[in-house]
Amino acid sequence: MNTRTKAMIAGTTALAGLSLAGAALAEAHGGTMTIGITQNNVGVDSYQTTYEEAFIAAAEANDAVDVVVLDAGGDVARQIAQMQDLIQQEVDAIIIWPTNGQAVIPAVREAHQADIPVIVTNSNIAEDGFDFVSSFSGPDNITQGSRSAEIMCDRFIELGIEDEARVVEITGQPGYTTAIERSDGFQDRLPEVCPNVTLVDSQPGNWNREDSQRVMEAFLTQYDDIDGVYSGDDNMGVGALNAAIAADRAEGITFVGATNFAVGYDAMGRGEYWGSIYQSPVDDAEAALQTAIDVLNGEEVPFLNYFDTPKITQDNMDEFDRPVF
Amino acid sequence: MAETNLKALGGLLARQGILVAFVVFMIAFALWNPRFIEIDNVFSVIRSSAILGVMALGVTFVVIGGNLDLSVGSLLSFSAIVVLDLHETPGFGPALAIPAMYAMTMGIGAVIGFLVGYLKLNSLIVTLGMLSAIHGLTLTWSGGQNMDIANQQETWFGIFGRGTALGIPIPVLMFGLLAAVLAIILAKTPFGRKVYAVGGNGTAATFSGIPRARVVFFTYIISSFCVATAGLIQASRTMGAQNTVGQGMELEVLAAVILGGASLLGGSGTVFKTVIGVLILGFIQNGLLLAGLEFYVQFVVTWIIIILAVWLDIATKRGKLWSPIA
Repeated sequence: MNTRTKAMIAGTTALAGLSLAGAALAEAHGGTMTIGITQNNVGVDSYQTTYEEAFIAAAEANDAVDVVVLDAGGDVARQIAQMQDLIQQEVDAIIIWPTNGQAVIPAVREAHQADIPVIVTNSNIAEDGFDFVSSFSGPDNITQGSRSAEIMCDRFIELGIEDEARVVEITGQPGYTTAIERSDGFQDRLPEVCPNVTLVDSQPGNWNREDSQRVMEAFLTQYDDIDGVYSGDDNMGVGALNAAIAADRAEGITFVGATNFAVGYDAMGRGEYWGSIYQSPVDDAEAALQTAIDVLNGEEVPFLNYFDTPKITQDNMDEFDRPVF
Repeated sequence: MAETNLKALGGLLARQGILVAFVVFMIAFALWNPRFIEIDNVFSVIRSSAILGVMALGVTFVVIGGNLDLSVGSLLSFSAIVVLDLHETPGFGPALAIPAMYAMTMGIGAVIGFLVGYLKLNSLIVTLGMLSAIHGLTLTWSGGQNMDIANQQETWFGIFGRGTALGIPIPVLMFGLLAAVLAIILAKTPFGRKVYAVGGNGTAATFSGIPRARVVFFTYIISSFCVATAGLIQASRTMGAQNTVGQGMELEVLAAVILGGASLLGGSGTVFKTVIGVLILGFIQNGLLLAGLEFYVQFVVTWIIIILAVWLDIATKRGKLWSPIA
């Protein structure tokens, strides 16, 4: 909380100084660049909190960059107002973590018309807005979904049950792009790698451990034979694991998630949880800042600038640090 | 003789329309999927409903007293985060963390009770404001981080959410016990009668010498006590919590209380009916899941069933399916 307040103050004061310096600074190529960021909802979960801390740390480590850090608090209207503020302040580039992929497009277009490059971070805006965006920096959720399918299939082959295994899926918030893309990636890839595995049911756990636990309890009642559980993130995966442990059925089930959380990492260490996708908010934040810097320096940046999110399982978890969230 | 019995039964059904609705749904779901009424499933539904149920018990007092409490969802997040964080604080452990969490949660309840009871501020405005204020407090406390119990094997904290006694899950026992105690308080004690009086007609109650402010104050104390208990069960069941764990629950709680037949205007309702309201909500969610309905459809069907239940309740009370006057 303190770092955030400090960062806000630092950001605002830095900006005041900058506007005094005026055009001189703006003209100087390779001099200081000011990058504004409006985030989705810091504090709502550990991922976003860690992202902000990492973003500020990365900006502080780079003398050529000043940042203005804003947070929309999950509110679309506030985010649009923040975009307009940043345009008024004539920052050099804007990074946006959209609160809503559709509703922010007019504000993104305004920035584009004011010749301020916009970089979208973490989750992309709707396709209608792509013309006004310089680059998207974030995880590739479809690939994450397919990698989870591969992790699960590989494990089934190891266990020799790739011809009869039955899988249930617990997805994130219905209607949320990340949830849909991961689920699509998983459901498309699974029959390619393990054609005889059946996906018997899929229900949302709303990114919420308690909801996921309740869904898994119902699955366990409904299906006598479950060999694998795929969850849209580890937080929900651990909820499903809790339910299976309580029902004394965790032993025979392969749990695979995404966005490796500390709880998931620990459960892997205990041998209860099989695998996940390692997605670091620190990498996410640093990639967003670097993309913005590259765009401002006129470098070629791919439109979809994904950062890598590798597979993590009980077998290779030693190669990764325990997630901080 | 048989005729009077039949009449008595008819009268009972008319008064307990919501109970009839409950039985109808249970039979319908059981026919759809027989696993629905297996004892394991029934216990697991009641166990998941216990969190919502315990909160609804407290809100029943507030609603009967003529007020609303929209802050219970935020307060649940607060209590879960606080108890987990204190549990992980060196030197605390569960034995200190739990009473400390109760004290803090009920402290917030006392603030709300003071504002609504003694200062006579509108409860909708006060608790709506508290909804976001408490959320902010929770985030400040946690710094936005999730809370988890690192070493789950070496603590007895899990018994409130995961334990069983005599084959019955502890959350179910806590819910049942609390419901019994609160039902007696509401129905059999002078305090309970004062709650009805204050909610039914506050001015008349005041003129009859009932300390209105104090009664309202204590309804919020009871509500916050219930939320603290729900927070304890929640935290213990998942051994971890997000900052938003209770978000949106205030409306589900209110739906359960109203479904049970308590009037939003105050003065009527019982603990038993609230319990039925809670169970209907819990079993609908579980039944639709077991029926394998697609999720988006479940939202719609849930609310159709709730409306049906309320209608059945009203229809049995007035003895007709519809009426031009209330």
